[in-house]
Amino acid sequence: MTDFKTLQLLDKFRIVFVKMGIDYEMMRKILHIKLTMDERKVPTLFNQARKKDDQKYGYIKSLWIYTLFGLVLIPFMGFGQNFLFQMSISFAMIIFLIMTSLISDFSSVLLDVRDRSILSTKPIAARTINAAKFMHIFIYLTYLTIALTAIPLLVGLFNQGIAFFILTVLELILINLFIVALTAILYIVILRFFDGEKLKDVINYVQIGLSLMLMIGYQVLIRSFEFVNFDMVVAFHWWSIFLIPMWFAAPYELLLNGDKSLFTVLYCIFAIVIPLLSIWLYVKLIPTFERNLQKLLNTSKSKKEKNNRLRALLLKIICRTNEERAFYRFASLMMKQEREFKLKVYPSLGFSFIIPFIFMFTFSRHEDVDYSVSMGYLNIYFSMLIIPSAVLMLGHSEKYKAAWIYKVFPLKDYTELKKGSLKAFLIKLYIPLYIFLSIIFCFIYGTRIIPDLLTVLVASCIYTVICYISIGSKIPFTKPYNEIGDAQGWKALLLFIPLGMLAGLHFLIAQIFFGSIIYLIALIIMNYILWKLVFKRTQ
Amino acid sequence: MEEILTITNLTKSYGSKEILKGIDLHVSRGEIIGYIGPNGAGKSTTVKIILGIEGEYGGEIKLFGENIGQDRVDYKRRIGYVPEIADVYDNLTGYEYLTFIGQLYGLELEIAADKSKTLMELFGVGEAYHARISSYSKGMRQKLLIIASLIHNPDLLFLDEPINGLDANSVMIFKEILTQLAAQGKTIFYSSHIMDVVEKISSRIILLYDGKIAADGTFAELQAENTEGTLEKIFNQLTGFHDHKEIGEKFVSIVQEVR
Repeated sequence: MTDFKTLQLLDKFRIVFVKMGIDYEMMRKILHIKLTMDERKVPTLFNQARKKDDQKYGYIKSLWIYTLFGLVLIPFMGFGQNFLFQMSISFAMIIFLIMTSLISDFSSVLLDVRDRSILSTKPIAARTINAAKFMHIFIYLTYLTIALTAIPLLVGLFNQGIAFFILTVLELILINLFIVALTAILYIVILRFFDGEKLKDVINYVQIGLSLMLMIGYQVLIRSFEFVNFDMVVAFHWWSIFLIPMWFAAPYELLLNGDKSLFTVLYCIFAIVIPLLSIWLYVKLIPTFERNLQKLLNTSKSKKEKNNRLRALLLKIICRTNEERAFYRFASLMMKQEREFKLKVYPSLGFSFIIPFIFMFTFSRHEDVDYSVSMGYLNIYFSMLIIPSAVLMLGHSEKYKAAWIYKVFPLKDYTELKKGSLKAFLIKLYIPLYIFLSIIFCFIYGTRIIPDLLTVLVASCIYTVICYISIGSKIPFTKPYNEIGDAQGWKALLLFIPLGMLAGLHFLIAQIFFGSIIYLIALIIMNYILWKLVFKRTQ
Repeated sequence: MEEILTITNLTKSYGSKEILKGIDLHVSRGEIIGYIGPNGAGKSTTVKIILGIEGEYGGEIKLFGENIGQDRVDYKRRIGYVPEIADVYDNLTGYEYLTFIGQLYGLELEIAADKSKTLMELFGVGEAYHARISSYSKGMRQKLLIIASLIHNPDLLFLDEPINGLDANSVMIFKEILTQLAAQGKTIFYSSHIMDVVEKISSRIILLYDGKIAADGTFAELQAENTEGTLEKIFNQLTGFHDHKEIGEKFVSIVQEVR
């Protein structure tokens, strides 16, 4: 174990901690261990395809994406004097990014229950443990904030002067304190009313949301610059008192533009007092928090399973054998409940929903589209981009070790299982997305496209099987996620070719009269044969 | 007595390391076998080979009178297994996991659901039936695994440290279950390091040491063959271990060095 530069820097502030009654040596030791452990894990945004050995400074290396996002801040922070508007936008972005990153990557730190059994049983003052916890998060937030704001800040320093620079740095510190306290208080509230599993679900959904936002944000960002209008004047309203970024933008007006109106002064006071107040509240609530953390270990409340006769009947039609049904049920549950799977697949699911529209509007922006004859609805094929990665993920699970049960079962081969899980994916994840898209498309293009939409549905079944064969037939949920290598990623990319072919053929055949219906019938037959062939029992 | 399991000259190696060096074993219906041995003696390996989790072994294994060759799987329907360290898909609820297991053993969903619900209730964990397994305590998890191993009414049971984490009352229930199962003609392989439990419940004890069977017989027979009294002492003697006193003393002296 090597010493950390960060900790050596922290040593310089030793006296501050000692004054606060914290056992600095002890806190340093705890932080050292925590940072060592963190070096061995990778943050959520980047765990898709990373090699195991390439993990040193994994977190710092992963910060480049935030630096990239930070570039967007340059026009807002570097130029112009309309501070209230510009800085509100900047701080809104900064707060959003830091807070989501805190929730997705550092919730485990805030909610670490191991601390209780490992550290709290040792002769260390609670104050020291809590300080270590806080500093642990604070160190990372500092990295993150620097990565995000360093370049815009430098531009600001040159263009707006030293006063702007110092003010921004001070405000960023306040913002970070505020975010940590706010997140912790949020958790305290959730834990007060719900149990641990619910909280883990909330965190999971925030992570999913973050990934999705970044995916879409990237698309929107490229197009957004033309909309931005720097002359926008922001007026104070009574309700804008709840717009947190505005509080932090107000000091610029006060100090740099000399605006001494009531609202500006009020906001400035908010910007300083509320972060400090929230930290004070957080410190007060820590004991309650620690007590409630215990809930994370408790048995969660039971929920009853609803029995639905119609669903059972449908299931019997979809899956013929008992084994297949068992696996269909199992796979649907895993897709619904495994947080790691959701984190990897659900953002792309959301993205698949958006992307047909992005393409539709990109292509149709410059010309008038007659929706009654347009073939723009074929953009729905883009929603199938989810299929390769989802089929790939189906082979993997966080709990891959639990797969020992398959060997203990009296099963001749695993075709039924694979078939069941593919059907579960289609019915539980893809088809709801497809139906939703179809309804919207019917509104736009009219009901005349229903035969085409049916064709797309059958094509998606065929495409799923194609993906399944190409990716290699694995038994579902039996491999760890980190085994997904670059090769697999390339395969998923190559799989866009057959998708393009399916869509292209559709486009060509639809040109002839009744073409879509002929194509539909051909695909149904092909689909039937394909499923029969691929899932032939090996005996 | 009907012979359930016959193992002839079973060998297994990992690379150049020989784990099992020729095991011969005959097990009859209704026996409760205490399967003991030091860490790394090959107990779990034997069980895993029988279950088909480990392949590529030497020798022959016959289960229910039939050789378990390469492609035979039907015999697994008659086996239940509680592994020592069991990973489960713990993002599922108890209900979801147990019915899944039951269905894969060929049970209908409703039957598996009824059965697992009643069994969970009898074991005192009925209230956790619809809760996620990840939130279970160690004892609840163990009970779930026991139920999962029995849900399809198997004829042969392999239990590896099954009472790990169970409270004293649950242990009593479990011991009674084992006795009843054996009386119904089920055969049970019981692996554990807790010697006094093995001593009490087993009708026959097999001690594995260094990849070979070092002792095989009822507790009374073992006592007669060896000079020592309890199973623990017999275990020490057969595995040639006598240094516990010395090591213990040394250990404590190092502990005291701290200050």
